[in-house]
Amino acid sequence: MTLSDDELVARSMGGDAESFNQLILRWERPIYALAYRVIGREEDARDVCQETFLRAFRALPGFKGQAKFSSWLYRIALNLCRDWIRRQRRAPVMQMPEGVDPGDLAAERGPVESIEDLVSRRELSAVVEDAMALLPEEQRTAIILKEYHGMTFQEIAEMQGCPLSTVKTRLYQGLTVLRRHLEKNGQMTPQLVKRS
Amino acid sequence: MSQTYTCGDHGALVSYLYDECEPHERRAISAHVAVCGTCAEELTSLGATRELLGAWSPPDAQLGFRVVSDAPRSNILKPSRWWQQPMPAWAQAAAAAAIFATGVTLGALRGTDAPGATAGPQPASGMLAGTNTAAVTPGDLSALERRLRAEMSQMRTATTTGTSPATASAGDAQMLERVRAMIQDSEQRQQRELALRTAEVVRDFDAQRRVDLTRIERAMGQMDGTTGVEVEQQRQMLNYLMRVSQRGQ
Repeated sequence: MTLSDDELVARSMGGDAESFNQLILRWERPIYALAYRVIGREEDARDVCQETFLRAFRALPGFKGQAKFSSWLYRIALNLCRDWIRRQRRAPVMQMPEGVDPGDLAAERGPVESIEDLVSRRELSAVVEDAMALLPEEQRTAIILKEYHGMTFQEIAEMQGCPLSTVKTRLYQGLTVLRRHLEKNGQMTPQLVKRS
Repeated sequence: MSQTYTCGDHGALVSYLYDECEPHERRAISAHVAVCGTCAEELTSLGATRELLGAWSPPDAQLGFRVVSDAPRSNILKPSRWWQQPMPAWAQAAAAAAIFATGVTLGALRGTDAPGATAGPQPASGMLAGTNTAAVTPGDLSALERRLRAEMSQMRTATTTGTSPATASAGDAQMLERVRAMIQDSEQRQQRELALRTAEVVRDFDAQRRVDLTRIERAMGQMDGTTGVEVEQQRQMLNYLMRVSQRGQ
């Protein structure tokens, strides 16, 4: 039987560490993905992910359940990402992609995807990552929460502590910058735009 | 929002794009887009941008975090106190040397305070401190007491038999000479032991350094091997890519 987040939280608050481990198992991938997309570094994203769960575990007795557990986790993770960005302000937020690594390709090559497809997918991923790095932190975070975590405008507004209209503006401006960058890099052609 | 949509209302356009608007808003925007080419094109290009965003996936990472401690939450992952941390080898050697030096100093001070404590055969330079302590047994002490009593009775006899002051001063000089000799012996013994202990500490430190160096060399060798394998894999992959690209041409 699969327990809900609320049930697992209640058990964890009662001292059942294994229930909290189930919550970690359930949410570590999304939290890691969020951290990676916001800060752009694998190692640091993993650290942020771990720290998020540590803080959540410590603060669990104070969790009143006013928000969803996942929203609470996202908020902790975003705060940690913000701290990380503040610390790294002088350094570039994102690592510029340095091309496709054949070693990684060899390790990732699966039986169904051809190496050419894999190369183009990796290139596209790198271009998108590159484009996302151009956005201001608020716009990038809004797009990440919307596109990759399926949050509503209202949830993003609460997460970012801003009005709903600001969230929409951030999304629109962010998408516009991304569109221009992707067009410039040949990832979006006028034909593609008109066809879809 | 009003029942009609006007160009430039980006917020409404975004709501429509993400399908997060009221039905009447949706109807109004759909009606507008059907007749406005600019808005239609913008909406389409934003949708295409969203599609491309799906290509961005974070790299796989080894996660699998777990709560492993049953300790109270306030104790989790706190840095350990400095006195709980293991002491490095150099600090252990330094502490041992400091303790030994303190012991030597105290021993030297006691040696000068206790006359006759070093009387008798001295231990060989290679003997340990424990052997030296064992040399002062109750038997030795009682022998020393007997000897001192005998000397005192001799002095008393000499005084009562009316020995001259010159004889008495000669006896004092002898006693002084013996005390000096004893002090000198004690100092020499302590110096030998100090040299021995220092040599032992240096030898242990050197041995530990050699062990550490060997470990580091072994680890570096493993890393070299791993890097070599990776370079070889990359070379093979590049060759494969070259062959594939040439075949395509």
